[in-house]
Amino acid sequence: MNRMMITSTNTLTQLQKQMDTISNNMANVGTTGYKRREATFTDLLYQQFNNQPNENNEVNRLTPNGIRQGVGAKLGQAQLVMSQGAIKTTDRPLDVAFTKENQLFKVLVQNDNENNVYYTRDGALYLSPVSEDEVMLVTGEGHPVLDEDNNPITITGDTKEYSIDANGRLTASKVDGSTETFNLGVIQINKPQFLEQKGGNLFELPTNFAELGVNEEVVFTELNGGLRNQVGLQQGALEQSNVDLSKEMTELINVQRSYQFQSRSVTLADQMMGLVNGIR
Amino acid sequence: MFRGFYSVASGMIAQQRRTEMLSNNMANANTPGFKADQSTLRAFPEMLLQRMDKLDIPTEKGLNLPITKTVGAINTGVYMQEVIPKFIQGDIHETNQKTDIALIDIDIPVNQETGLRGSVFYSVQNPDGQVRYTRNGDFTLDGSGFLTTASGLYVLDEQGNPIQLSSDQFVVDEYGQITGQNGETARIGIGYADNPQRLIKEGDGLFRTEDGAELENAFNAQGVQFKLQQGFLERSNVDVSRTMTDMLTAFRAFEANQKILQAYDKSMDKAANEIGRL
Repeated sequence: MNRMMITSTNTLTQLQKQMDTISNNMANVGTTGYKRREATFTDLLYQQFNNQPNENNEVNRLTPNGIRQGVGAKLGQAQLVMSQGAIKTTDRPLDVAFTKENQLFKVLVQNDNENNVYYTRDGALYLSPVSEDEVMLVTGEGHPVLDEDNNPITITGDTKEYSIDANGRLTASKVDGSTETFNLGVIQINKPQFLEQKGGNLFELPTNFAELGVNEEVVFTELNGGLRNQVGLQQGALEQSNVDLSKEMTELINVQRSYQFQSRSVTLADQMMGLVNGIR
Repeated sequence: MFRGFYSVASGMIAQQRRTEMLSNNMANANTPGFKADQSTLRAFPEMLLQRMDKLDIPTEKGLNLPITKTVGAINTGVYMQEVIPKFIQGDIHETNQKTDIALIDIDIPVNQETGLRGSVFYSVQNPDGQVRYTRNGDFTLDGSGFLTTASGLYVLDEQGNPIQLSSDQFVVDEYGQITGQNGETARIGIGYADNPQRLIKEGDGLFRTEDGAELENAFNAQGVQFKLQQGFLERSNVDVSRTMTDMLTAFRAFEANQKILQAYDKSMDKAANEIGRL
């Protein structure tokens, strides 16, 4: 049997997956705080053919006896790239952008009567009324943004002005002259490979750290108390996605050509089999 | 029986092996650190052909002696003898990821015996605890902070121990010294093979030595110059246009062999059905 077919089809399916990753990155080029994924390949197992039974007849060989043939390539990993995105100034008081890598907001998300804490880099925040004179700080999708103690942020009374300082301190100046302050909950992720993309611009961290055999503190740090000054935020701006469209486009062309090369291999293998059939 | 019948069949098999190898190269044109394979074809052992003849001696009754005359040598086929990985440096590609480290050859001595340059490799540990070698610098950190390959094999330091880091904010200098965020240090273990062609390709970017022995530490090897570069990857050294051309050449050679096989078949057809027809 011609092994070209299996080599090419193995690789074709994996190239398709890389194309999926690239198209997802390209689709999210305009998503605030989106972090791209980068797929890389690795070769598949090799098989040794011992087609030279008599080693003594094999003179002047460079390699050990036998011939080793591979069966294509597979996707090795699709790594999340946490690099900083460009900052776009919007001058909207409730837009905040992280200026430091690996920091995330805490967001409360309700799934089937269950409250989960998710994380996001998307700093386009909004206010949602909860009662007559109370508003809550939420994300664009309406999920409450949490403070450093994991409580939703509710502001009472008529507010004149909101300001968020570089360390994530939200100050609401009221019409009556009083002020109310909150510390936005921010975490610093030390091991970004634990982050799982949940859609809706949210990340999730596993909750079973003990089972996984890792310490929660090692994976992420809550930037509270004395660590507040490590938070890097900028008010009136948004962090754009870290997708470089021209780079993704180049990658896409590259993948597409590889795809074509692999299809050509299939065609060649098919023609070779046709030739064998046509011997008689 | 026609002798060439099986020669062309072996030719077809050899060319098929070649296209298989080339399509694997093509499949790995985007695999970091992949080393393209090259093939050598070799003729079957030479055979001496002799012609049976007779020598007429002019005597009264006519005497002849059977003799043999040498016609020449013949090879009755071809086979793919070797698949040799080509260890030349692949292109360097910037990725800006801290866990991508490219191994760059600067000056590696030429092996006197083979006339080819040696090569340097990262040492990694396979699941059985044995040391394997790779050029693929596409690393990542696992849950416990160990530096691993994309498939999760530990990258080893100079002493053969896994490298543990506190976060992905680490720095690798060109001499392989890793410094983590909390000041932990290690030196990436690099093996030097003066005759890398003797290494056995296992797949997953890995090579192993024939006898399981460990390679010499490249930092201490005489005259071996190389450097590590963080944020870069060594691309595959497959040349796609050359591979495509080779593939078409092999394909046409396969086709030519098939045509000759058909010609032999026609001769046999004549022998079987036409000789002796009235």
